[in-house]
Amino acid sequence: MADMKQTPGSKSSVVKKLKATAEASAYQKEWFAGLKKRVEAGEDFGYLNADVPMEVLRAMDIPFVVNQWWAAICGAKRMTKKYFGLLRDAGYRDDLCSYCATAFAESLDPDDHKVDADGKPLGPWGGLPDPTLAITRLTCDCQSKIFELFAKNHGADFYAMENTVARKVPLKWFDMAADDWENLYDTDRIDAAVEELKELIRFLEMKTGKMFDINKLEHVMNLINEQESWYKKTRDLIASCHPVPVTVVDTINAVMQAQWQRGTQWATDHAKGLYEEIKELADKGEAAVPNEKYRLMWIGRGIWHDFGFYQRFEQKYGAVFMWSMYLAMGADAYIRNHVEKDPLRALAARYIGMEDFLHMPPWNSQWYLQQAVQNDIDGVVYMVPENCMQAVEGSYFIKKTLEDAGIPVLIFKADPVDPRKWNADTMTGLVEAFIEQRVIPKSGS
Amino acid sequence: MSIRECALQSKAFTALMEVYKHREKVARAWRADGKKVIGEMGCDVPDEFLIAAGMLPIHVYADPEKPLKETDTYLEYAFDPIVRAQFEKIVDGTYERLIDALAISNSTDVVIRIYLYLRELHRVEPEKPVPPVEFIDWLFTRNRMHQVRNELTLDIFRKAVEQWAGHPITDEQIIEAAKICNADRQALREMGELRHGEEVRINGSEALVIIGSAFFMEREAHTELVKQVVEDARQWPVLTGPRVFYTGSNQEDTTLYDMIEEKGMVIVGEDHDWGDRYYDRDYNLDYAPIRAVVDRYMLREFSSKKAFVSQRVDALNRLVDKTGADAVIFYTNLYEEAASWDYPSQKKSLEERGIKTAAFHKMAWPLQHNADLEKKLAAFAGELKGGVSNG
Repeated sequence: MADMKQTPGSKSSVVKKLKATAEASAYQKEWFAGLKKRVEAGEDFGYLNADVPMEVLRAMDIPFVVNQWWAAICGAKRMTKKYFGLLRDAGYRDDLCSYCATAFAESLDPDDHKVDADGKPLGPWGGLPDPTLAITRLTCDCQSKIFELFAKNHGADFYAMENTVARKVPLKWFDMAADDWENLYDTDRIDAAVEELKELIRFLEMKTGKMFDINKLEHVMNLINEQESWYKKTRDLIASCHPVPVTVVDTINAVMQAQWQRGTQWATDHAKGLYEEIKELADKGEAAVPNEKYRLMWIGRGIWHDFGFYQRFEQKYGAVFMWSMYLAMGADAYIRNHVEKDPLRALAARYIGMEDFLHMPPWNSQWYLQQAVQNDIDGVVYMVPENCMQAVEGSYFIKKTLEDAGIPVLIFKADPVDPRKWNADTMTGLVEAFIEQRVIPKSGS
Repeated sequence: MSIRECALQSKAFTALMEVYKHREKVARAWRADGKKVIGEMGCDVPDEFLIAAGMLPIHVYADPEKPLKETDTYLEYAFDPIVRAQFEKIVDGTYERLIDALAISNSTDVVIRIYLYLRELHRVEPEKPVPPVEFIDWLFTRNRMHQVRNELTLDIFRKAVEQWAGHPITDEQIIEAAKICNADRQALREMGELRHGEEVRINGSEALVIIGSAFFMEREAHTELVKQVVEDARQWPVLTGPRVFYTGSNQEDTTLYDMIEEKGMVIVGEDHDWGDRYYDRDYNLDYAPIRAVVDRYMLREFSSKKAFVSQRVDALNRLVDKTGADAVIFYTNLYEEAASWDYPSQKKSLEERGIKTAAFHKMAWPLQHNADLEKKLAAFAGELKGGVSNG
């Protein structure tokens, strides 16, 4: 079922192919409406940064929204310009930390929960309900400050979890993460992360009056392992297909939306459905881009305000963006087997690694290389965020690792949620030149 | 105003000035004597361990004149300009010729990245002249759990220092080194009284020299010279003019302070790591060594990088009260973003208390590249001179 959507203000259309993508979009709206009702009924509501171990809140049945997901929704709803204007009016700079500051900026909007003359909500999806808890990790100097400001505006309790830096640097973490996670990390880092989890649980118990249950966490962890195992099968399947049956336009949305629902039966079932749908397409020999010639890897966050960008190189060049971290992280970074021995420790061994995998060479560079090889990648387009120190992750080392292996890399600066700095023609031109000058000659076509 | 003639007539001050201007001189002499020198990046490397091991700690600093050939290759544009310039000297071999190893503390995101990049450079380009690097993974949120974790972290660092030194460091040696550092801090606090007491006799630029020279010389020698400067400065003329507190980017030399004070303002205090913050809080001699080091570095006045907005608002109010400042200058370099999130709340709080403020964001470094800076500073000085003093 093809779904064509025109992004407002964008020159292109986004063609979404999968039922699973549409289902995920529909589910998240329904889920968000249900969440609002729970908050309106007086339940505690958490607002979390993406690297917070949300599994604890899931196990305690505390409703929550993930900051990066909400920023993507605001970006897709083209709210960024308005929100960053509000930031400026309040004396803040409007050119910083766009991914993390979007929700704080939204909290300055007096119209967020209002409707227009036609009864349409002015805020995205009717606006974010007031959280009672705002939880982040200290993985960047700015994030805690923004979360504290956000919490104050909403009258929420602010809670921060510390971050530690890895001393061990295994080159093939992706071979160890699922089963050998105890040896993947410095033992004292896991110990510290377990203590952080216990403190978080205590804070949540005191705040919400709900008691944590380790058996529920084990159940959540097992559901997540199952969900992520479907992503692993999906990633491996797509990698093996020539041509690929789907592109990142489908997989990013389908996976990201369900990833923030991880630990629920719905998310696990959705991941299974996603695999089965893609498998069916693959079995029929369907191609996302019938004239597929070049397989492109996207490194970086999604361009939420111009998703059609990924499809602009298909017709002209047969160049298909078929890899992004969203599916591949699910495949390689989340699974932690042997949960039953100590669910808290297994969770600790999941959440402390996210910063390492994504933002620290050689963990990230070696993974990108392994993935590029597995997916027969012809070229890599790498977006370095405009204004985010957290996402400064050793681009030199990533580029060098890939190019030393013969895979050309294009690096460009952009902002994932702020369309003010995005010129679709310029960016398209950059990638076109890259394909013509680097990818095509390298592939010998 | 900058450095005044009265200061230049003080033998002790000119001795400190000599070290401040020629920052490699003492380190070179140490190495020529076969002793070890350790470079520091980040403001939370515990000198007590290095001094206890018989080594000379020196701060890595930026050279505004050096082209950034290596830096442009390895670092993304989002690193702040001072750190970029510091990195250049680490990777181009400048520091390999001057130090035996480099200790980096988790004092801000940017230096964490520098550590990760240097570690990776060692792995993928071992031919690069980069000294051995050790990282101190401090946690700065204040609770018991993180204090305990920091004790483990410091134990790891202590072992690294022992390896560099080639011998163990005893608790007694750490305590002796702590006494040396405490004495230096006490001497600097006495100097500070002459900056922000009722009568101001030491200006901001002079204070930067007095404090910053500690980063490049033996600590006991520094203490003796500071004590002498304090004695001399008691006779220096009293400074008049609006009392200004500076918050923001590190100032590794006196250029900006000179410019501010030439407009008639007097900088009576600051919260950056090349100024007053350096000598805040002593090592508690009643505690066990590791615990005492953790206590000293973890519980110092909040830095702009590792504190929440509310903590920074309170900290700035406290420091403004302590120094009797009439006004605050906010000054942050391009890509040094964290303090930008504190600024609106700090400004609001200060102005509610009658403290005037001026803000300079996204500043280029070196500061000569900021075309209208002098004009704006002059305008602010004019505003203060016509305004009401907080005194």
